Amino acid sequence: MSFIYNIKVKILTKEEVVPNIFLVKLLAPSVTQEALPGQFIHIKCSTDHYPLLRRPLSIHRIDKEKGEIFILFQIMGEGTKLLADRTIGDDLDIMGPIGNGFNIYPESRKIMIIGGGIGVAPLLALCEESVRQGKEVRVLIGALRKELVIGEESFKILGVKVAVATDDGSYEHKGLVADLLEGNIREGWLADQVFACGPKLMLKKIVGISLNAHINCQVSLEERMACGIGACLGCVCKIKIKDKKEDKIKYEFKRICVDGPVFEGSEVVWDD
Amino acid sequence: MINKPNLEVEIAGIKLKNPVMTASGTFGYGEEFSPFIDLDRLGAMVLKGITLKPKRGNPPPRIIETPSGMLNAIGLQNVGVEVLIKEKLPYLKKFNTPVIINISGDTIEEYIELARRLGEVSKEMGVAGLEVNISCPNVKNGDMAWGTDAKATYKIVSSIRKVTTLPLIVKLTPNVTDIKIIAQAAKEAGADALSLINTLVGMAVDIDSRKPKLANISGGLSGPAVKPVALWLVWQVFQTVNIPVIGIGGIIKVEDALEFIIAGARAIEIGTANFINPNITIEITEGIKKYLIKNNIKDVNELVGSMKI
Repeated sequence: MSFIYNIKVKILTKEEVVPNIFLVKLLAPSVTQEALPGQFIHIKCSTDHYPLLRRPLSIHRIDKEKGEIFILFQIMGEGTKLLADRTIGDDLDIMGPIGNGFNIYPESRKIMIIGGGIGVAPLLALCEESVRQGKEVRVLIGALRKELVIGEESFKILGVKVAVATDDGSYEHKGLVADLLEGNIREGWLADQVFACGPKLMLKKIVGISLNAHINCQVSLEERMACGIGACLGCVCKIKIKDKKEDKIKYEFKRICVDGPVFEGSEVVWDD
Repeated sequence: MINKPNLEVEIAGIKLKNPVMTASGTFGYGEEFSPFIDLDRLGAMVLKGITLKPKRGNPPPRIIETPSGMLNAIGLQNVGVEVLIKEKLPYLKKFNTPVIINISGDTIEEYIELARRLGEVSKEMGVAGLEVNISCPNVKNGDMAWGTDAKATYKIVSSIRKVTTLPLIVKLTPNVTDIKIIAQAAKEAGADALSLINTLVGMAVDIDSRKPKLANISGGLSGPAVKPVALWLVWQVFQTVNIPVIGIGGIIKVEDALEFIIAGARAIEIGTANFINPNITIEITEGIKKYLIKNNIKDVNELVGSMKI
């Protein structure tokens, strides 16, 4: 685990990219130098004690040259609402970077990146890094409808192929991103690695499809979180334990904050 | 004019360099906080509650934020006492801060075995004392928490007392009709100090799914929301027993800590606030010192229970 800073950083820009979804740029040279795609920062949204707890938000982009990090988040409750209301120039109390991040294998040539809804948040940094490493990257974005498609242009600028699925068919493919992944596999575009972030049901499908096609799949998970540094054991998920007698799936609870947030899809136990 | 007020206090025979301790379950095994604070500056560290065997804990969601507080239902996930001794305590040996182990069990035998085992390694591994969590369900008695009944409290504490000479702090639950009776029972059973409060039982409901927000349905409420309740209970217990009281419950700033001390707490434990500000223990220690200087008080012990009525 890299060093976790607890510092105040300046809000440089703020933009509502689609209704209720904000892109915020922070000046945080120290955090930026350490940050890896897939890690998050733990943000104190309020300036007093309400809401009480910090909010964990994925690092969306890492600009090491300028020492800037971006977060992309959806207003989900009081914490994110307050964060969206903060003004440019404000100091923000953050802890980070936290978590393991995505693991891009050196030998991988083709990378498939899949985001559902606000789940695209950690994937732009991953896409940039994959492109930088010379991988062939494809991106699949899922959204409920056209207005809620997030990040399409940001990915396209990187020169990667992007396909979109909307639940209601108001933009590109009508259906699920999982359909698009299956389509790619059918056409013979087999990724060496799949990376996904989004709703649990989507992740479960993506992991199932990937494993069937013998593709390594990493997923970024989330859960209600308190400390963000592995102490409270609040943000756990079920992770399989290797067992010689494989008569029954055995699992243990792992902390999403510091053991994750990225896990091997094959190791996650999905509750129905 | 006082420049260097005394911050040292003594709890259950343990000398603390200041009255600021960490509350069990909010400070991991200590090491998690070492990137943020100098563990040597703490009064004492109370580690994550330990059981005889490792415990997997409850399914998620385990925590949910509530107005000025949070509910948790971690389910005592922990590595078990043997891993604690082998893998967690060695790291803490290099610090000059007393380490207090919070112990939990399903049966009286488990508590006894835990106390015996920790007593056995206490010198070598630097265990300064035990904090007994009596809020756990008594499995052999309809899962009623030990700490909600004076007789059960007496039984569990006296049984542990028989097998260890380690300082015993008994952590009281607020979910009782009269905490004074429980406090008295714990004292008579041999407790050297009392810490209170543990969390208040509560729940939260998701109105869309009509499901409880915690997988465990109920959880323990902590944070600023519980502070007035905790203060009142500390004050009552302070007046009832003549052993040191450790105040716990929603302390998030120095003023909160001072309120507890004035209400009778010889030391305080900081819990939920560690999740928001990992440096809070140090900031509160500094704040207590400043308050003593400002008010020309030479010893923090003078402040303990100094409430004027």
